[in-house]
Amino acid sequence: MLKRVEIAERLRSTVEEFIEDWGLDAEISRDTKLVEDLEFDSIDVIQLVVAIEGAFQSRSLGFQDLLMREGRYVDDLSLGEIEAFLEQRLTRA
Amino acid sequence: MTSTMLIGLDGATFTVLDPLLRGTAEEGVVMPFLASLMEQGYSAKLRSTAHPLTPPAWTSVVTGRTPGHHGIFDFVRFEDLGNELFFTLYDARDIRAETLWQIAGRQGKSVVSLNFPMMAPPMEVNGSLVPGFVSWKHLRRNMWPSTLFDRIKAFEDFDAKELSWDFERESAIGDVMADEELFTWVDKHLPRDKQWFNIGLRLLQEDKPDLFALMMDGTDKIQHQAWHVLDPALWTGGATEAARAVRKLVLQYFRNVDGYLRALHEAAPDAHFIIVSDHGFTGSEKVVRVNLHLEKLGHLTWRESDGSEAARRRDMSNFANLDWSATRAFCPTPSSNGIVIRKRTEACPAGVPPEEYEAFRDRLIADLLDMRDDETGERVIAEVLKREDAFPGECMERAPDLTLVLSDHGFVSVRNREPAVVTRPVPLGTHHPDGIFVMTGPGVAHARGADMSIVDTTAIAAHSLGLPIPEDFEGAIPDGLFDAVWLGEHPVRHAAAGKATGPAQAAPPARDAEEEQREEMLAQLRLLGYIED
Repeated sequence: MLKRVEIAERLRSTVEEFIEDWGLDAEISRDTKLVEDLEFDSIDVIQLVVAIEGAFQSRSLGFQDLLMREGRYVDDLSLGEIEAFLEQRLTRA
Repeated sequence: MTSTMLIGLDGATFTVLDPLLRGTAEEGVVMPFLASLMEQGYSAKLRSTAHPLTPPAWTSVVTGRTPGHHGIFDFVRFEDLGNELFFTLYDARDIRAETLWQIAGRQGKSVVSLNFPMMAPPMEVNGSLVPGFVSWKHLRRNMWPSTLFDRIKAFEDFDAKELSWDFERESAIGDVMADEELFTWVDKHLPRDKQWFNIGLRLLQEDKPDLFALMMDGTDKIQHQAWHVLDPALWTGGATEAARAVRKLVLQYFRNVDGYLRALHEAAPDAHFIIVSDHGFTGSEKVVRVNLHLEKLGHLTWRESDGSEAARRRDMSNFANLDWSATRAFCPTPSSNGIVIRKRTEACPAGVPPEEYEAFRDRLIADLLDMRDDETGERVIAEVLKREDAFPGECMERAPDLTLVLSDHGFVSVRNREPAVVTRPVPLGTHHPDGIFVMTGPGVAHARGADMSIVDTTAIAAHSLGLPIPEDFEGAIPDGLFDAVWLGEHPVRHAAAGKATGPAQAAPPARDAEEEQREEMLAQLRLLGYIED
C-alpha cells in the first residue's frame, strides 16, 4: 500500500510532467487549482485522470466522486483535493 | 527496408475525387499523382463499418476486426447508473483486439504509426507512434517511445499547435458558416496535414520502418464544412467571390495531399503503397432531432433547466440531457446515431422490463422508421439496425441497441428544439459507407476491383509485410488484388490469433462490479462539441 508521502510525490510529478510544455509560470503546490492556476479545459481534466490512472496503475479510482458533487460537475479542483481523494482511495482497506 | 506504406485519408470518397483525378473538374486534373496510382494499380470501393464513424472505422483498419469485436463504437462511451449517466471518452485502453502495430512488432517488424485515432494512451510498439486526435498540450506523454517528442520537436518547422487536434476549431463542424468564415476555418487545416507529412517523411527516411502508417484527416474536416463547393452535383461555378475563394483553397488542400502522396511514395518506391479511407462522404440536407421524436412517443423526458449558465451549456452540449428517472429509450450522442433501450433494474426503474424488451424494440423500430419530415411527409430514417446484426461479437453489449441510418446518411441531433426535422439551408458533408481503396506495388494487379470491406485492409497490410494473417482477422485478400506470379511466390498464410487485448499500458487489476462501474464515471465533457462529427 502506498504511503501518503508517496502518493503526494507521485501526483506532483505527474502534474509537473503533464504541464511541461504548456509554457506556464505556475508553482505547483497543494493550493494550485487546475482551472484558475493551470488553465485547464474540460478535456485536460479527462487527460489528467488518464495520466493519474497510468501513474497509479488503476482505472478504478472512481474519479466521478471527485469531479461531481450533487449531480453537477465541479468548477475547479486544487491539487490538495486530488491528493486527499487519492489518499482515501489508495489507502482504504 | 520499408515494405508496406499504409496511408489513411479520412473520409476520402470517389464521388469527390473522381473529377479531381480525371480532370473533369473546371480546374482540370487536381491530383495527378493519385490519378497515376489508380491507373497503375488496383482500386475499389471500401465499405466502412456498419456505422461509418471515425473511431470505430479506423480501429477496424488497425485491428482487422469489426466493432463488435474491437469494442470501439463512438468517440464517447457512457455508464448508465440509473439516476444519472456519466459520459467519458473511448481511448486505446478500451480496444479489445491486438493492433497491426503490435502484431507486426511481435514478429520483428518495425513500425511508424502516425495520427490514427484511439491510439492514446500510447501502446508499446517496435518503432514510433504518435496518436491522432490529441491536443498539443498532451502530445509529449502520448507518444511512443517517450523520447519521441523531443526528437520530433527538433525537426525543422515542427509546430505542436499546428500538428495537433484543436477541440475548439473542430467543435465548429456542423455549424453553418458564411463562406468568408469558412475560408478562414479551412485555411487553418492546411498546415496541419503538412505537419503530419513532414514528420512522416522524416521518420520514414531516417527509420525505414517495415510498416509505415500515416493518416491525414483534413479530408474529413474540410468535406464536412465545405461540401457545397466540393460535391460535383452542387458546384456550379460559385455564385459569389467568397464561394470561389473557398473552392480554390479547398482544391489547394487536395493538391497538397497529392504532393504528400508523391513524396512519400518516392521515399519508398518499392513498397506496397496502400491508400484507405475509413468511410466516404455525401451531403446531408436534414437535421433530425431524434430525441424529440422519442419524447413524442413517450419514451423520454427532458431534464428541466434551472436557468443557470451550467444548465444552458448542458442543454447545448452534444450529450443527451434527460430526466433519467423518466427515460427508457434515448439517443446519447449525435455521432452514435444510436438508440439505447434501458432495461428495468432496481437502479433503473424507468427501464423496459426484460421480458418486454423484444416487443418494445420491435415497436420502436417501426415507430422510428415512421419518423417523417412534416414539410414533405417523407420518412427520414432509412434503416434501423439491431445491434446483434450490426455489431456481432464479444463487445456487442457496449453498442447501442439500435443504430439509425438516416435517409441522407446524416448524423442525428440530440437537442431539444422544435421542429423535429428541419431542412438545412446548405447541405453539410456527412459520412457515407463507401470509402476508397487504392494500392500499387509489387504484384499488384492493374484493375478496378469489386467492393471491399474495411477489414480487408488489415489482412492486405499483414500479407504485404510478409506476415501470416491471424485467424481472427475478419477480412481477406480480395481475389484479383495480386497477380498469380506474386501469389505463387508469396502465398497467403494464416496463423493463430494473437493476444485478445490490445491496450498498451499496464493492464488494470481485476475489479469488482462496483469498481467496473466507477471507472466509467469520470466525465467532465460538457464543452466537447467535436463529437458532432
